[in-house]
Amino acid sequence: MLHDYAGHDVAALVKRSELVSRILITVAIIGAVGTPLFIWARTPLIHARVAENGGWSPDVIHANANQPFTLHLTSDDVVHGFAVGQMDMQSVDVLPGKVTDITLKIDKPGIYTFFCTRWCGLNHWRMRGTIEVGGSSSAPGPAAVPMYVTLGLDIDAPHEAPVIPINRPSAISGQKLAANLPIDRSIDYYLKHSPYQVFDELSTTSLTESQRWDVVASIWQSNTTPESRANGQQLYTQNCAACHGENGAGNGVFADDLAAAGESSIQTMAGADSMTMQSPVDFTNPIRMLGASPALLQGKILRGGMGTGMPMWGSIFTEEQIWDLIAYLYSFQFDY
Amino acid sequence: MGSRFFLLLLVMAGLVVAFAPLPVQPIAPLERTFRIEARQFAYSPSEFRVNPGDTVTIQLVSTDVVHGLYIDGYDVSVEADPGQTTALTFVADKAGSFRFRCNVTCGAMHPFMIGKLTVGTNDWLVRSIGLALIAICGFLPLSSFLSNKKSSENR
Amino acid sequence: MNRFELTRLPFIKKILKSRYPQLAVFIVMLVGYIFAILAGLIGSPVGSRNFSIVFVWIAWWAVLILVAVPFFGRGWCAVCPIPLPSEWLQRGAVLSPPDKKPKWFNLRWPKFLRNIWMQNISFLLLALFSSVLLTTPNITGIVLAAMLVAAIGLSMVFERRSFCRYLCPVGGFIGLYSQTAPIELRIKDKQVCVTCDGKPCYNGSENGYGCPWDVFPGGLTRNTYCGLCMECIRTCPHDNIAINLRPFSADLAKPSTRMDEAFKAFIMLGSSMIYAGVLLGPWGTFKDAAYNVGTSVWLVYVIIFLAIIFIILPGLFALGILKTKSALPLKQRFASLATALIPLGLMFWVAFSLSFVLTNASYIIASLSDPLGLGWNLFGTANAAWQPLLTTILAPAQTLALVGGLIWSARTAQKAADKIKTSSIPVIAFCFMTTLVMMWLLL
Repeated sequence: MLHDYAGHDVAALVKRSELVSRILITVAIIGAVGTPLFIWARTPLIHARVAENGGWSPDVIHANANQPFTLHLTSDDVVHGFAVGQMDMQSVDVLPGKVTDITLKIDKPGIYTFFCTRWCGLNHWRMRGTIEVGGSSSAPGPAAVPMYVTLGLDIDAPHEAPVIPINRPSAISGQKLAANLPIDRSIDYYLKHSPYQVFDELSTTSLTESQRWDVVASIWQSNTTPESRANGQQLYTQNCAACHGENGAGNGVFADDLAAAGESSIQTMAGADSMTMQSPVDFTNPIRMLGASPALLQGKILRGGMGTGMPMWGSIFTEEQIWDLIAYLYSFQFDY
Repeated sequence: MGSRFFLLLLVMAGLVVAFAPLPVQPIAPLERTFRIEARQFAYSPSEFRVNPGDTVTIQLVSTDVVHGLYIDGYDVSVEADPGQTTALTFVADKAGSFRFRCNVTCGAMHPFMIGKLTVGTNDWLVRSIGLALIAICGFLPLSSFLSNKKSSENR
Repeated sequence: MNRFELTRLPFIKKILKSRYPQLAVFIVMLVGYIFAILAGLIGSPVGSRNFSIVFVWIAWWAVLILVAVPFFGRGWCAVCPIPLPSEWLQRGAVLSPPDKKPKWFNLRWPKFLRNIWMQNISFLLLALFSSVLLTTPNITGIVLAAMLVAAIGLSMVFERRSFCRYLCPVGGFIGLYSQTAPIELRIKDKQVCVTCDGKPCYNGSENGYGCPWDVFPGGLTRNTYCGLCMECIRTCPHDNIAINLRPFSADLAKPSTRMDEAFKAFIMLGSSMIYAGVLLGPWGTFKDAAYNVGTSVWLVYVIIFLAIIFIILPGLFALGILKTKSALPLKQRFASLATALIPLGLMFWVAFSLSFVLTNASYIIASLSDPLGLGWNLFGTANAAWQPLLTTILAPAQTLALVGGLIWSARTAQKAADKIKTSSIPVIAFCFMTTLVMMWLLL
């Protein structure tokens, strides 16, 4: 009826072109919707978001022991990083909108923690997930009991040094003084004693107080190496400095935020004394540092908490990494 | 003919304002250090000023997530994680005003995380104001010239 | 009158007269549009790595404001895919002429809305949320989808392209600024139209549809509401429609006296200045306020935004022309003289966009290879680093745009003032002052 002006053939032609156009448009729309949806549905990504927005998603990864598996990591907001705890592995950056592939192979079955390695805000350390490695090859051995447990140390108790040095103790001058003293230089002695305890035990000698502190510094130096302290410094910079400060003074970039978070938790939880100390510890403060033994510090780092915002690092650091870190922490007190 | 001459004069003045080197008072170059805190999505301080020839060190302190600082025109940059202050040193040998901006994606408003570095005089601001003034001052006589021309064309 | 008829060239005429080239472009654009919606909804939430943000707000915006609008006027509207699905639905056909009986309600657009106030409002609604819209892929996806759905919905209720003509937030300012473009669609001979039977250009014929933009081509004097859809070229039985090259801003010689258009000019001028300060300035407080939609600071931002656009800028402008001698009432003078702000606003947007686009253009290269941020690498450029382009010529180019815009607007002011026999000085002074502010913000 419409095309009677033009005759039958033209009408058929118009109709065919109309039909072709409709098919083309429909195919184009379906293609534009379907193709990306299809590929998107088949791309299993692990999304990283700041902890406030959900952290890792998914946050549980399943794998089999001794079988390599590949993870496709992407960040939905800011720069994150990825590493598996206690593996001493090179972390990879997880960049916003980019996909990073990483292939892992874990030998022993067990539950591993993966974590964010680039600071992404106050709650960066909450960005953790687990890799559940299945397999029956070898049952996981019993976990080593940390030293603070075997020693029965209460890591929540105050540990103040009643006496502190007037000048910064020097390991170099201490070395000369210590040469002729009957001192226990074993690693075990170092780990289990606080600097103040050693200082106190040296009271039987004829040394002055400042000389005794120098000797303590030398003992601490001789039980650590420049390499371990350097490694500790690197770990400290990456993991601790944002709160505890680059110079250890407890004044990191998040210190104010933590204090504010502590304040608000006091207001909301009336009488909850345990939440009062959100501010990070000052490692340059000799009263606290000289009263703490390496074993005590290890406990604090392993478990975290202590009524503060201190994260739990036990599932992240290897034992060696923690001792390196502790070796570095004492360099805020001693001149090596 | 007078308008034509006036137009030529205006164009010449415009060219001078646009391209003539600005007078530089010789100031002994200094070494300057700025501590700049970066947060989502701003720098603090977000504006700073140096003299041409100064050796400028920027200590970048990030207070929330990983940020960067890239300076337009100088094409230098630095990146800082929270807790890891980094430094960028360069010689401010180009005069003018330069935007510096975050070059590490740091969230939604990242493309607009911007600060401003001025080395000596903000010369394009000075030039553009000069050109605008010339344009306005010369406008009335010039436009009558243009309309005369147009009406003669139409004839 | 200084015109060159492009449709005199057989090649161009052929392309415009046939439906197929335009349809092909429509289909490609529609695929891109739908892909942008999808990318926004399912792709990476990181804007700089998502097709929807990178291709809409960097690539498309750059082409639109730096090329399409200044040189082709409503050229974008000629290829915009939004009407394709809605017109199919409305007409029941893609190519064939529609049935005589309309498929749907086919109502006339209500009279009191026959202006661009709805477009002013829709643009402002997006503008107030722009910091979120520009940076958040799923918001961009939702807005793009909403525009498509709105166009389809309106096409079933009202006749013709009522969405494009009265609601589209982009169409409003493209129309305003298209008056400055050196291209126009006009009739060749008025007499032919007067004697033309049935006006197929407006009512449609077997060769094409009646003007989708509800415009009678015979009466066209300005580009503002002509969508360059080319239907009248196809329907005119007398070959009386031409596409002309013409001098820039030819339409501005006949200033409009409409208040909705005058305020559109203020909205666009003010928005470009606010964006320059908030987005490109070094003031973090403004960015926080603009981004944290729904908070009290954002409300303050909204109030300031609206105050600048509706009170401060028009107020200063009105104050300037208040005491000038003229036979016309203030309202008409205001609307006529606001014409001067059209080239000024366009060049403000050019200057603003130059900075934004050149800084972020390198994202396009990476996003081409990985449009959804799913780890693809289609062209091997997925890891292309961010690198601002042409930073050394940015400031001179912005200076050129702003000074050029000032001269252009001053000239426009003078013509508009001559037309209504009043002084152009206050308007030129207003243009000068706003230009100085823009220079200070951008340079």
